[in-house]
Amino acid sequence: MLLEIRDIHVHYSGVAALKGVSMQVPEDGIVTIIGANGAGKSTTLRAVSGLTSISSGEIWFAGERIDTLTADKVVARGIAQVPEGRRIFPDLTVEENLRTGAFLRSDKSDIEHDLEKIFNRFPRLRERRRQWAKTLSGGEQQMVAIGRALMARPRLLLLDEPSMGLAPVVIQEIARIIREIVREGVPVVLVEQNAELALGLANYAYVLETGSVSLDGAADNLHENEHVKRAYLGV
Amino acid sequence: MTELLLQTVVNAVYAASYMSLIAVGLVLIFGVMGVINFAHGELYMAGAYTVVALYSQMNVPFLAAVAAGLIFVGALGILMEYAFFRPLRDNPLGGLIASIGFLLILQTTAVLGFGVRMAHIKPPTQAKIELMEGVVLTHQRLFVIVAAIALLSALYVFLRKTKFGWAMRACAQDKEAAALQGISLNQITRIAMFIGAGLAGVAGALTAPLVSPTPYMGHSVIVTAFIIIIVGGIGQLEGAVVAAILYAFVHTFVTTFFDGVVADIVGLVLMLVVLVIKPTGLFGAKERA
Repeated sequence: MLLEIRDIHVHYSGVAALKGVSMQVPEDGIVTIIGANGAGKSTTLRAVSGLTSISSGEIWFAGERIDTLTADKVVARGIAQVPEGRRIFPDLTVEENLRTGAFLRSDKSDIEHDLEKIFNRFPRLRERRRQWAKTLSGGEQQMVAIGRALMARPRLLLLDEPSMGLAPVVIQEIARIIREIVREGVPVVLVEQNAELALGLANYAYVLETGSVSLDGAADNLHENEHVKRAYLGV
Repeated sequence: MTELLLQTVVNAVYAASYMSLIAVGLVLIFGVMGVINFAHGELYMAGAYTVVALYSQMNVPFLAAVAAGLIFVGALGILMEYAFFRPLRDNPLGGLIASIGFLLILQTTAVLGFGVRMAHIKPPTQAKIELMEGVVLTHQRLFVIVAAIALLSALYVFLRKTKFGWAMRACAQDKEAAALQGISLNQITRIAMFIGAGLAGVAGALTAPLVSPTPYMGHSVIVTAFIIIIVGGIGQLEGAVVAAILYAFVHTFVTTFFDGVVADIVGLVLMLVVLVIKPTGLFGAKERA
C-alpha cells in the first residue's frame, strides 16, 4: 500500500470530526471518498497533508510515518493536494501559480518541460499565462490548481471536490484529466460530493458518515449498493 | 520662486525615497506575517545608531556601516520573528503587543548605550551638486535616493522573478495553500522579517548623518509610515511606494510654504480623505480573508 490511514481521530476544538478512520490507497488507480457535507472527507485529506493534526492513530506513506510532519514536509515526501475551493493564489499570474507548485524542485530543465506539458494539457492556460489568476473562470482556476499540484511531480495526488461549482461540461473535462493523470502513473485520492462522478471514475470507494467509514468496497459494487443508491445517487 | 519650487521638489524626492524604504518594509511584514510591527520605527532608529556606533565612534567607513546597519537590523527582525511572531502566529493582537514591548526594549537599550541626547554625525561628504542657480542636492542626499531606488528595484525583481519571491507573495495571499506547495512558512517569514526590518535599518543608517539620531526618533517615523500604508492600501507594496511619494511631496511642500505642524495636520487629513473616499486605500483591493 502506498498510503495507509490507521484508525485516525481528529478533533476540532473538542468536537470529534473523525472517529477512527482507516483507509488504504494502492500504488495505482483512483480511490474515492464520498459522503455528505461535514462527514469528514476534507478533514481526512487535511490530516494526510499535515494541515490538521490528528489526536490519535497513524498515517503511513511509502513505508514512512508521516502524521507528525508539517505540511511542507508532507509535500516533500511526494503528496500533493488540490484543496477544496481550489485556493489558487489570486494575485499571482497563472504561470507563477504553476511555478509555486515546483517550489521544492531544483531540476530546472525538467521544470520547464513539465510546465510545457501542463500548457499542452490545458491550452487555455498557455494563452493566459501572464494574467492574474483571479481573472480566470472557475474551470480555468481548477485547471491551475490541478496543474500546480502536478508541477510537484507527486507520487500521490489528493483532489478535494474538483467538481465543486463547475458546469457539467467542465466537470466532464476535469474527469477526463483525472483519468489521464492516473494513466500516466500517479494514483489519485478523490473526495467528492458528486457520488455518481466519483464512483464512475474510481476503482475503490469509501463512504464516510459522521466521521467514520460506514462502507467500503470496489466502486462498481458500491454503485449497486442499495444504501449508496438511496443516500448518495438519488435513485 | 522657481528655484524654491525646484529645491522643494528635490527635498521631496529625498524624503520620498527613505520613507518608501520604511513603509515598504512595514507592508512586507504585515503582508506575510499579518502583524502590525509597532517596533518598525525603532528598527529605523537601530539602523541609525549602527552608524553612530560604527562610523562616528569606531571610524568604520560609512558604506560599511550602512551595510552593517542593514544586516544588524535584519537580524533583529529575524530575532523578533523567532521570539514573538512565531509563537504568536495565530494571535495577531498578541504579535502587535509583543512588538510594542520590543520597541521599549530597543529604545531603552539605545538610551543606556548612547544617552538621551542627540547624536551628531559628521557627514561623510560635504560635496553637493548645484542642479541650477540656487537648487542644490548634497551628495549625501543623492546617495540616499540612489540607494533607495536600487534597493526597491532589487526587491521588486526578487518578488517577481525568483521562486522565493513567488513563495513570499503566495504566503501573503494564502498560507495554507502555500504550505501545500511545499513552502515552509517558517523559512519565508524569516526571509520577510529580514528584508522588512533590514529596509527600515538601512533607511535609518543612510539618513543618520542628516537627521541627528535620538533614541526616540522612531516615534514620528512610525506615525508617518502608518499614514503611508493606510493611504496606499494595507498590504500593497506598490501602493506603499506611491503613497510614500505622494505623502513626501505634500508634507515637504506644506512644510516649506507653511510650517511643519501644518504639514503633519495635512498629512493626517490626507489619510482621512482617502479613508472616506476609498477605505481600502488608493491601491487596496477587496479585503482578503
